[in-house]
Amino acid sequence: MTPRARAVLDSLGRNAGKLALATTIGLVLAAMTHIAAILMLPWLARQDAHARLAPTTTSEAAVLVAAPRDAGFGAVDASPPETWLPLHDPATAVGACAYDLAEGPLRVSAPDGRLFQTISLHARGAGAYYAVTDRAAVRGRLELVVATREQLDALLAREAAREEVADAPADGFGDLRVVAPGRQGFVLVRTLAAFPSEAGLARALVEGVSCTIEPL
Amino acid sequence: MFEALRRAARNAYHLLLLAWAAALGAGIGLGSALYVLEGEYPFGERRVQAWVAWPSVGSPASDPYARAIMARSADVPLAQGEGIAFHADADELGRPLDAACSYVVAGETPVARAWTFTLYDLDGRLLETPQRRAGLASAQMLRDEAGGVTIALAPRPRPGNWLQLPGTGRFQAVLRLYDSPVSGALGWLDDGAMPRIVRMSCPGEALS
Repeated sequence: MTPRARAVLDSLGRNAGKLALATTIGLVLAAMTHIAAILMLPWLARQDAHARLAPTTTSEAAVLVAAPRDAGFGAVDASPPETWLPLHDPATAVGACAYDLAEGPLRVSAPDGRLFQTISLHARGAGAYYAVTDRAAVRGRLELVVATREQLDALLAREAAREEVADAPADGFGDLRVVAPGRQGFVLVRTLAAFPSEAGLARALVEGVSCTIEPL
Repeated sequence: MFEALRRAARNAYHLLLLAWAAALGAGIGLGSALYVLEGEYPFGERRVQAWVAWPSVGSPASDPYARAIMARSADVPLAQGEGIAFHADADELGRPLDAACSYVVAGETPVARAWTFTLYDLDGRLLETPQRRAGLASAQMLRDEAGGVTIALAPRPRPGNWLQLPGTGRFQAVLRLYDSPVSGALGWLDDGAMPRIVRMSCPGEALS
């Protein structure tokens, strides 16, 4: 083999090695991009449930997201409920309100209307973290207080102080308190209309849910 | 002169390699992410006969893929404690559900305060038929002496519980159990606990 041919071969081998290195780096980058995209998407999405509900953050009451279908065999003109919620159960009324706990804890209060009802809490980017059914209702209302860990500590400290003074009226039942994993999220209410005739009631119950921020 | 040319060629080659690595990273990385997000929830799938459910997607233990899929589809699955949804897009023998055929869904349903049975197209929209009804709730159900339930799915009217099929296209069925111990961390169901989806007949096929 001439020295010249050897030099060409060497150079080819070096360049092929570089190509292999670049491909390996590319694949490692691909894995990192994949993981980053999956983890970032819930925070960047503009079409997810939280983003769609964001305008309701300042609203004092839940807004109807998906109506139940009130058509039986009688109402032939009823159109299917319009909603962005995929796979909506037409037997349920779905309402929601978004929250931001920056100003204080959130109080969710739902009237108990003898229909099956659930309230679920969803953190932005992290999915559901808590759910109750109407079985948890006390004296005709289902009440929930959603607070961050710091707000809950402040609430407990204030109550402890009040107990020492002992002039505050006893509350009777305490509220159902839930610690939120993050400041932002949304509350979702589902009410089941077991019969088409209950659709109106289910809808009214969902719209009767209030979500108010109670500054500490 | 020759040396300068060689150096230029080497620099160009290095730039090309850099671009190759970047393109590979972005292309495969984003492409694979998109591919995963288009599909079903990849983890935590539980099967009973033809039914499939993802009990963990409605809990704080949901995985990053499930969260990303929810973000993309705007879906809000039933939370653990609310209930659980079972999906089926094939009959008990694994044949895709076809709206031209007729089916019988029969058997037991797991313990729940209420349940609903709903039909959708493959994009998640309610089936539209002249009957104007895409689902039934447990309270509306006619039951047999043993308390079992039979629902007929067919393009033409059937006695008893009947949901109309539009006659063309594929469809999927969702059985939602509201306030059911099944959604908790209890043991999983055996095959007899869920109704069977049996294909009765299809056009152009002899009645069996």
